[in-house]
Amino acid sequence: MLVLTRKVGERIRIGDDVTLQVLEVRGGQVRLGLAAPADVRIFREEIFLAIEGQNQEAQLPDHGRLADAARVWEAYADGKRG
Amino acid sequence: MASVAEAAVTPVRRDDPEMIEVRSRRFGDFAVPGDRVLHFPQGLIGFPRVRRFVILDHRPGSPFKWMLCLDQPDVAFAVVEPMDFVPDYRAPIALAARTLGTDPADIGLFVIVTIPSDPTAMTVNLMAPVVVDIRTRISRQLVLEDGRFDPSYRVCASPPAAPVES
Repeated sequence: MLVLTRKVGERIRIGDDVTLQVLEVRGGQVRLGLAAPADVRIFREEIFLAIEGQNQEAQLPDHGRLADAARVWEAYADGKRG
Repeated sequence: MASVAEAAVTPVRRDDPEMIEVRSRRFGDFAVPGDRVLHFPQGLIGFPRVRRFVILDHRPGSPFKWMLCLDQPDVAFAVVEPMDFVPDYRAPIALAARTLGTDPADIGLFVIVTIPSDPTAMTVNLMAPVVVDIRTRISRQLVLEDGRFDPSYRVCASPPAAPVES
């Protein structure tokens, strides 16, 4: 891992078009500003990991799984309609 | 039970260049019209290399749809339009339109269903919907980071108040 030391207000360039700026350091927290093109996705890591994990879990193991869910949903929706 | 192959638009003419044939060990063989392919330039979150999907009906009238990957044919998801399942869901149409650079009227939106071995515990991912520009079919998995959207919202339960976008 590349390790750099920056002062408040200083920036780091990542590639040609991503800029990371240290905005504020207070207590144990750092506020960062990020400027990047719209097609660069930027997430807090815990959010990324949560969605990645959910996507992995959602991969269908076989053909029958979706059909089972559709049946369960139909019965449930019928029940709700009374 | 309708197979994926049956659900796909048929018949297939093998010499028809507009049809894309896919052979999947898990889901069977099917063919899809090239003009229905959704392009995800960034893949899905955590799946950067799955770029081309197609959405197929499970059965006529069923809200469940297959989202099948053409690049890795053993990768498939179940998706639904959220309105049937979570009536209070305020779909982030405006954000989707801004992100994809298109008009809100041209946005299609699905949520991915996670179906465990007990399907009554199925959940939908309201935090990371799949949005589609229906004109260009450029698609993306949006991530709504503000904490009000549940990534595993249980649909078959006496549900708690659904998360909403204010």
